[in-house]
Amino acid sequence: MSGPFASLKVVEVGELTSAPYAAKLFADLGADVVKIERPGAGDRARHRGPYPKNEPHPEKSGLFLYLNANKLGVTLDIFKPEGMELLERLAADADVLIHNMSPPDMDRAGLDFERFSRRNPRLVMTSITPYGLTGPYRDRLAEELTIWSQGGLTYLNGAGPDTREIPPLKVFGQQAGYQGGIHAAVATAGALMAQWRDGEGQHIDVSVYEVCASQLELTYVYWPYAQRVASRLGAKPVQPLEALECRDGLIFLCCVEDHQWKAFVELMGHPAWTDEELFRGRGRRTANWDAARLFVQEWLNEQTVQDLYHKAQAKRIPFAPVSTMGDLLNSDHLKARGFFVEIDHPQAGAYKYPGPPFKMSRTPWQLRRPAPALGQHNREIFGGRLKLSDAEMAQLKHKGVI
Amino acid sequence: MAAPPLAGIRVADFTWVWAGPYCTLQLGYMGAEVIRVETRNRLCVTRHMTPMADGKAGPNRSGYFNQYNQNKKSVSINLQSAEGRAVAQRLALASDVVTNNFAAGVMERLGLGYEELRKAKPDIIMITMSGFGETGPLREYVAYGPAQVPLSGLSALTGYKGGPPLHAGFSYGDPNGGIHGAFAVLAALYHRARTGEGQYIDLSQWETSVAMVAEGVVEYQMTGQEPERMGNRDHWMAPHGLFRCKDMAEKIAGRSIDMWVSIAVANDDQWRRLAAAIGHPQLADDARFATLQARKHNEDELEAIITQWTSQRFAREAEQALQRAGVPAAIASTNKDLFEDPHLNQRGFFVEKEHPEVGVRKHLGPPWRMSRTPSGVERAAPILGQDTDDVLTTVLGYTAAEVAKLREAGALT
Repeated sequence: MSGPFASLKVVEVGELTSAPYAAKLFADLGADVVKIERPGAGDRARHRGPYPKNEPHPEKSGLFLYLNANKLGVTLDIFKPEGMELLERLAADADVLIHNMSPPDMDRAGLDFERFSRRNPRLVMTSITPYGLTGPYRDRLAEELTIWSQGGLTYLNGAGPDTREIPPLKVFGQQAGYQGGIHAAVATAGALMAQWRDGEGQHIDVSVYEVCASQLELTYVYWPYAQRVASRLGAKPVQPLEALECRDGLIFLCCVEDHQWKAFVELMGHPAWTDEELFRGRGRRTANWDAARLFVQEWLNEQTVQDLYHKAQAKRIPFAPVSTMGDLLNSDHLKARGFFVEIDHPQAGAYKYPGPPFKMSRTPWQLRRPAPALGQHNREIFGGRLKLSDAEMAQLKHKGVI
Repeated sequence: MAAPPLAGIRVADFTWVWAGPYCTLQLGYMGAEVIRVETRNRLCVTRHMTPMADGKAGPNRSGYFNQYNQNKKSVSINLQSAEGRAVAQRLALASDVVTNNFAAGVMERLGLGYEELRKAKPDIIMITMSGFGETGPLREYVAYGPAQVPLSGLSALTGYKGGPPLHAGFSYGDPNGGIHGAFAVLAALYHRARTGEGQYIDLSQWETSVAMVAEGVVEYQMTGQEPERMGNRDHWMAPHGLFRCKDMAEKIAGRSIDMWVSIAVANDDQWRRLAAAIGHPQLADDARFATLQARKHNEDELEAIITQWTSQRFAREAEQALQRAGVPAAIASTNKDLFEDPHLNQRGFFVEKEHPEVGVRKHLGPPWRMSRTPSGVERAAPILGQDTDDVLTTVLGYTAAEVAKLREAGALT
């Protein structure tokens, strides 16, 4: 069985997370992805780690190895005219070109949809940029932290009430990058449906800023609906919805619906305090949670995390443990589903990485090859596909184009 | 004029809360006809949640529901009744895609299991976006978005240095599961377009969340240690943090609003620019800060110097001064900042459609634009059961009399 995108050719000009993740989603479902990196340094993700034994090495970055498995890798300097010409030739034969070059860099390199489209009208070109291709912030600089913040997501996170001087908190990792990537992949796949139908491509303009704002749950709408600023310092819309200490660690309590709270009350042995007027109903329980928490905490002091987790779930209460990385790798459930996949890379070694994010019954996720070494497939792509001679390749190498 | 990418695709949407609705929101943006199956007997949680338009409660007044259900139709069907289930089944079989985010086994119990639907319609595509997936020992466990954050390992990696695990600040597992679900459905639709084959998709929200924590999982194996929490800092960039600014100029509901600017310096050149922008050009070559290694070593001191500068400015002023100097910086936006942001407004990110009960509210549209095929928001979120009669008669072929009879029997509540 081959993937749903087995016939698809994708060219990626990607750095760090967003475009590489978008292209990875297609590669893992069978697409032929050629990843283009800068000669010399390569993708920024090669320089971020994590690394085996914390020793930096551009072929051993865990982030890079995760995001770029299943791809072919070439080096190409598209800021040089010969480099851009080769990119155009690669894209002339492709279904999708996906990149996350910033708009000023696009201008500088001449990475222009009209130009690519003239040569290949079928091409879907997806531009993932911090702020989008239009608007007053188009040319602004951004990093993961600043775009996640501008999108409104750090303002919601961090320490609780009475801690106004503790900064809002960024969540771990490259979440703006991942979300930029998956949202871009969705729009790209939509454009492929149109391409399948009528044979025409188009340009997709993905703004990571807007992607972040799209995740704001109920907090954005607090302004247009209630003229209130939603803040990490404010009360939660429902309680309990937080991690508290058991005897041996943290458990996340979660009672969004009333039946869940009732089941939790039962699990606690129906203590008298839960019948108090103060705590009856979602609204009052939430408003008076500071008081209720004291009672709950007293009970939790006698509980252990795993035992409470399973007891609660048996009553359909959606509590969860606070998993460590070790917990995830050792989870019997994730093992039974074959979630983690070992990728053996010739230089970095064998590690387990997250595998299929969903299981398709007919067109499964597949691991075909580890991430490419920098320029590993130059000969295969430039010689094999673009039919450059050895002499031409040597000359391009000499000029620093490949 | 080209047709929308998913013109002609119908989705029978049995999802609720946030993960599933976020999936079908994407399909709707691209022109799919999304028909949400709801019931008065058990309202979608988000129909109950604040904020309610103008503080007046009601199932059609929730900003949360109205944000994530734009473009969709709503039919109310009582799945507790046999007649209701028959209507639901007919809707599923009239659709290209059936979506749900129930735990394993629930759709089967409703007579809407994949095997059953497939017998009548072999090319049907079905996705279940459950918390734990359809297989494995915890398959019947229930998961809510907020709990996915700790479950996925994100909490263990998020928090202030030396402090406990914290949260993402929102139910990250939900939109993340939903958006991956949308991609899976599109992949299946693409495969169906090419081969005529349908399929079943089993999505575990836990797994889609762990996919976002890959660096942590790999770091643990590569170093033998759990990664440490380090607040807003970064191993490879410094300064890298959020810095206190003056409070928002106006008070909101009598309260002052704390404001912050985020700064991420990726290299020594940006550091020189930052030092100059905050009036300390001499610090660029100061041995304490000249290299990444030095800045990491003296990061507390570095942050204190920057805070001295930011705390005397409004966040917007700091952001603009730093951007002008060539330093990546952005305010930590509040919802009000986003609502008023000139950039988002000029880009046409916002959608203003008339809603039958709450009127025009400024909602968010898709975070992308397509140059050729129409996409976006055609209509506001539905009021509960708004399209029941229309869908039953025009899509499913019931007569008005049959609809009346079903209603009388309690199948359409």
